[in-house]
Amino acid sequence: MIPIAHVIALSAVLFAIGALGVLVRRNLVVMLMSIELMLNAANLAFIGFARHHGDETGHVFVLMVIVVAAAEVAVGLGILIALFRNRASVDVEDASLLKW
Amino acid sequence: MIPAPVLELRAVLPLGVLALGAIAVLVLDLVMLDRSRLFGRSVTRAFVGTLLSLTSAVFLIVVLVLGVQNLVHGSTAVFNVANPLVQLDPLANFGVLLVAGGTLLVCLMSVAYLAELDINHGEYYALLLLSASGMVLLVSATDLLSLFLGLEVTAIPAYVLAGFDRGRRRGNEAALKYFLLGSFASAILLYGMALLYGATGATTLEAIRQAEVASSPLALAGMGLVLVGFAFKVSSVPFHQWVPDVYEGAPASVGGFFATTVKAAAFVALLRLLAVALGEGASWVAPMLAVLAALSMIVGNTMALIQQNPKRLLGYAAIGHAGYLLLGFVAATPEAYAAVLFYLTAYLFMTLGAFAVLVALANRGHDLERIGDLAGLAKKRPALAGALTLFAISLAGIPPTAGFLAKFQLFAAVVGAGHVGLVILAVGTSVLSAFYYLRLPVLMVMREPEGPPPRLHLASGEWLVVGVCALAVVTLGLLPNGLGVDSPSLLPPALDWSRDAITALLASR
Repeated sequence: MIPIAHVIALSAVLFAIGALGVLVRRNLVVMLMSIELMLNAANLAFIGFARHHGDETGHVFVLMVIVVAAAEVAVGLGILIALFRNRASVDVEDASLLKW
Repeated sequence: MIPAPVLELRAVLPLGVLALGAIAVLVLDLVMLDRSRLFGRSVTRAFVGTLLSLTSAVFLIVVLVLGVQNLVHGSTAVFNVANPLVQLDPLANFGVLLVAGGTLLVCLMSVAYLAELDINHGEYYALLLLSASGMVLLVSATDLLSLFLGLEVTAIPAYVLAGFDRGRRRGNEAALKYFLLGSFASAILLYGMALLYGATGATTLEAIRQAEVASSPLALAGMGLVLVGFAFKVSSVPFHQWVPDVYEGAPASVGGFFATTVKAAAFVALLRLLAVALGEGASWVAPMLAVLAALSMIVGNTMALIQQNPKRLLGYAAIGHAGYLLLGFVAATPEAYAAVLFYLTAYLFMTLGAFAVLVALANRGHDLERIGDLAGLAKKRPALAGALTLFAISLAGIPPTAGFLAKFQLFAAVVGAGHVGLVILAVGTSVLSAFYYLRLPVLMVMREPEGPPPRLHLASGEWLVVGVCALAVVTLGLLPNGLGVDSPSLLPPALDWSRDAITALLASR
């Protein structure tokens, strides 16, 4: 049996990679994937804790999060396509009309 | 065998009505778009827009009536007692009133505006109703799961609404920034929830308080991440960068929706989270909130001073108001919580009124993008200029308006809890805010008109919303308790209801 500490360590690493990806990368598709990575890191933590506590609430939580993440990605890609149609770029640095 | 749970459907009735309304609007739009005719007659796009707006209004009014009834009876309905995900208590009902009222006003003021911007699509109303249903879930959530779902169901339609004018680059950019930062915040919040669940083994707010968050570092980290996520949602500094961009880039009616309804729902949820999941034993959270509040007041009000775009100005002003509201959570007394609820009510009407004036001033397919374009409005459109002056006075917190009373109540409650320094800062930044708010009436009255003339005809919906907001700002300032508890149908006793909601919340935990 895998100890809980390993599961949580892995999820923390995944979460950090995702958060760094959002902050560092400038390609919108990669940023979207990084946000997905963060959500899935949370899912992993939920599953690990659910097994640790012997409680099924965590599993239910994960199922809901997966559905929400799917909806979020659909909307995110829609926004990305609308943006791409208007300026033919997926670089966030190009989205700079609004500042200060 | 698992016994069938006893479900109290009354607890999810407002949620269901709004979700049903969203579906009804979508289907109605589809049917009419397909045929372009109704009962054998061909219909215009403008007619379809009006019909959809009125359909949404009917559903929202049903929810408003439900909320008022529940508040008058002071009733509490728990969806499933064995596993309380959703609880429609007086606090939730107060939130439902704010949400449904705000969304109703947005629906009514959008009809002519959407046609003016040439984005008269039926999905607009469906998205508004969907987002409102998420907010109803959010204000009645008593579990991390329903809290997260509420936040997301609120936010996902909101991302689409921000970029609803999808042919315009500024709209795209607003949607993109809102989406990226909003979902980033959601992910942080979710990870915090996972840590909280790990530390306490439970997801209900009640169980989290009993497990005493402060006792374990894991739970502390989780609660910290959840609060960071909420700081994003309520637009507090240093997580505020998206606010001015989104308010500027989104259509003015949508900006008004975000500034008032979405924010009110997030604050009500934050109130429940702090009051129920942390309880009294959470002295560690007050200094953190105090820093957020002070930064928000200073940065929001200072940056608003130099803005030239009215929507952006209201965005920075909203950050400042978030700072004032956070003061109530620093104090964390029942009086302060009640003052937060009353402030949200007053803020809803004055900010939505200001956005409604901007909606009414949209001209030739464009929003009013420069404050200078307000010059001479008092001559061109005296009624609109008067209304905007009233909203500006109220936002600055000058008597006899709702904004003054709300600020007074809040600051008095915070002083009562012993945070005098913070209140001095708040009063100072309020004085600062008077500069940029009062610049608007000065421009409208003192300057000669320039630029293109305003739209000739204002839609009745725009007049109605501006009028209702102006009336509410004055009556909430003079008669905060309406005509007494006996006749809540005429003028709701907002002040009493806010106190009752907090009393019931604190008594039930």
